Amino acid sequence: MPSSSEATRGPGLSVGLRASVQATVTEADTAEAMGSGDVPVLATPRLLALAEAASSAAVAPQLADGFTTVGTSASVEHRRASPLGAEVVVEAELTEVDGRRLVFGFIARAQNTGEDVVVGAGTVERVMLDRERFIARAQAGG
Amino acid sequence: MTEVRAEMVANVWQVVASEGDQVADGDTLVVLESMKMEIPVLAEGAGTLTKLAVAEGDVVQEGDLIAIIE
Repeated sequence: MPSSSEATRGPGLSVGLRASVQATVTEADTAEAMGSGDVPVLATPRLLALAEAASSAAVAPQLADGFTTVGTSASVEHRRASPLGAEVVVEAELTEVDGRRLVFGFIARAQNTGEDVVVGAGTVERVMLDRERFIARAQAGG
Repeated sequence: MTEVRAEMVANVWQVVASEGDQVADGDTLVVLESMKMEIPVLAEGAGTLTKLAVAEGDVVQEGDLIAIIE
């Protein structure tokens, strides 16, 4: 059986790749709605989801056909509350490539009342793998 | 004699080889799973697989014996 480890790296997967995602805080994004708390402000797991999305997007165009990335580890500092209606922008940057393992740093900013503030920061780790094989393995109980 | 040991904590996802098999350097013996990845464990020399110490579903710790090739 061939090792898939060398086939996963696209031609241009190098430190410094970036992407950002933007979201407006709605009722569905709050700690109250997500069950992670009981206040109507941006939920920490929603912030993490945005960070994972930005990290995925940073490398997706560079992956070999049929490959994807999945999350394996993360650390999140959620420094400041973002109320309903706040515009949150999360930018992720690839900071380390270790074989199939990718490490990203992210920073989240929000425009609350006209001022641009940092509301969160952290790291995300993802690994590259064959999408179909991964799904089949997960469904088989692996 | 070559002992093949686990390099990390992992689940044994697939056992590819069987005891008694003739294996070549680089043949896949088992496939581990760790951090969502498939990690093939390869023969580190040619010979006869005299012992296969793991089964599918086992959890191996770093340094655990996986196989012996003689």
